[in-house]
Amino acid sequence: MSVPLRVTLLVGLSLAVLAACPFFGLSLISPAALTVPDHPDAEVFWRLRLPRTVAAFLAGAGLSLGGMIFQALFRNPLATPFTLGVSSGASFGASVYFWLGGPVLMWAGSLGPLFSSLLGAFLSMFLVWSITRSRGGFQTAVMLLAGVVINFFFSSLVLFVQYMSDAHDSLRIMHWLMGSLASVETARLAELGFVVIMGTVFVFSLAPQIDLLTAGEELAASRGVRLKTLKLEIFIVASVVVGTVVSLAGPIGFVGLMVPHACRLILGWNHRRLTPAIFFVGGAFLSLCDLASRLVLAPAELPIGIVTALLGGPFFLWILFRANSTGDLF
Amino acid sequence: MTGGNGLLAGKGQPGDGQAILEASRFSFWIDKANILRDISFAVRRGEFLSIVGPNGAGKSTLLKCLLRLHQGGRSEGTITVAGRDLGSYGQRQLAKAISYVPQPGGWIPPFTVREFAKLSRFPHASTVAGLSPSDELAVDQALESVGMTGMANRNLKTMSGGERQKAYLAAALAQGAGIMLLDEPAASLDPRHASELAALLEKLNRGQGLTVVMVTHDLNHPLRAGGLALVLAEGERRYFGPASGLLENGVLEKAFRHGFLYLDHPDGRGRLVVAR
Repeated sequence: MSVPLRVTLLVGLSLAVLAACPFFGLSLISPAALTVPDHPDAEVFWRLRLPRTVAAFLAGAGLSLGGMIFQALFRNPLATPFTLGVSSGASFGASVYFWLGGPVLMWAGSLGPLFSSLLGAFLSMFLVWSITRSRGGFQTAVMLLAGVVINFFFSSLVLFVQYMSDAHDSLRIMHWLMGSLASVETARLAELGFVVIMGTVFVFSLAPQIDLLTAGEELAASRGVRLKTLKLEIFIVASVVVGTVVSLAGPIGFVGLMVPHACRLILGWNHRRLTPAIFFVGGAFLSLCDLASRLVLAPAELPIGIVTALLGGPFFLWILFRANSTGDLF
Repeated sequence: MTGGNGLLAGKGQPGDGQAILEASRFSFWIDKANILRDISFAVRRGEFLSIVGPNGAGKSTLLKCLLRLHQGGRSEGTITVAGRDLGSYGQRQLAKAISYVPQPGGWIPPFTVREFAKLSRFPHASTVAGLSPSDELAVDQALESVGMTGMANRNLKTMSGGERQKAYLAAALAQGAGIMLLDEPAASLDPRHASELAALLEKLNRGQGLTVVMVTHDLNHPLRAGGLALVLAEGERRYFGPASGLLENGVLEKAFRHGFLYLDHPDGRGRLVVAR
């Protein structure tokens, strides 16, 4: 089967999942109910389930996109917005908001969590960037190590903030850290959609350069890629997209690890094809995870971060076990 | 880009006109370490320069400086490409002037031969439209020149080292630059693949007017192929001139601090160097 055909199939399948998801839940909604005026199921469908499915779709697409570009930059399947500190930076920003934010970020209104998460994401990326630069040049290995260190650092800061907060705020932070799409307000969907779609279009325009980067940095530079600019662009777009998703849905882990890796296995490394495929597959994947999070413990809801982590752990091990003896993880 | 045999931009008669690649009193430091000192040489269009010298002499560093691949580091002196200062080139412009075959080994790109060669058209392609038919043609010609047309859809990861090195050569050729830099391209090749690669390079140099600058450990290659040789040792230039000059005045002995035997080649064509 040719690669473009596989992309088409994956996109089609993902759109089918997106269309089907809002009909499933605690109760099944019949498509016929949507045609009946003032049917209670239609209300549930339009006001609750559809916005939530769209939120899950956009969040999944954004996290997968972030994972794809970091994996390409570091040529390592374990390099994701998570392992490199973007998510923990954004988490730190958001938890500071929950702790002190009310009065301090009053002017930002309902955009407060978004601003503080983005600030946190940028802070972590700025630190990774500065550490890397101070070591001379922009060596990827240094960048990866700096990312891991910054990730630990901000994760500890989140714990610190949680410890300093009162019981109520602490609980809010904890709940948020587990990730949830229930709290994404419909009004936020436009922002999320704008950021994720613009990010995807931008990454698509960088695709040939990302291809070259995966072939090797020196090779990419010798073929006309401005390495420093490209790395900076990758960092900024990943920070904005992942920071926005995290601010709305919490740090949902492993999506950026699993989806790009699986798509590469099916489609190869051409990023002109991977980018749209990963956008749709990532979206459909998280929509399904969200559905599972609502059904597994129904009527209670399992935090979606736990669902993705339960899937991601074994996936992670699978990557390690299928690696060949040379340690080539891809 | 012209059709037919015009794969390489800016063809001309070998050795005519001004230097296409020239270093003049070039020095390079990484932190406090002085890796290259006062290096000068000039290569004209269509010439073949072999860079030889002991390990740690600065050969690969020089190659990276010629490609501006060094991140960090400090330099003095000048390098010019086609008469223009290296620093004045945009990254894509430079990629159109100089192509590169990296040292074999390490990460193998996850692409087929054709995909990999197509990536080299990046400096020519438009951001929006991608590759044009003339780009595809350049890729076809490059694969053809190294005899890889039949292997175009093979994955680099599943190839032997010798085949992969030819694919790298094809990819560099697809870049369409007049100068090609190679870093020990035959380093890990068996004798058959090494001599095939050498023959290919000579063919490209003589037949298509490609200017070749190659770092090599095979001292007999420059002696057989002719052209120019640059001997580096401890970051300094120990010899620059016709390759036949390697046989004279103890150039190799001083550079390598090792004895050599000089023999007549059994096939009657030129001389042969053997380390003692």
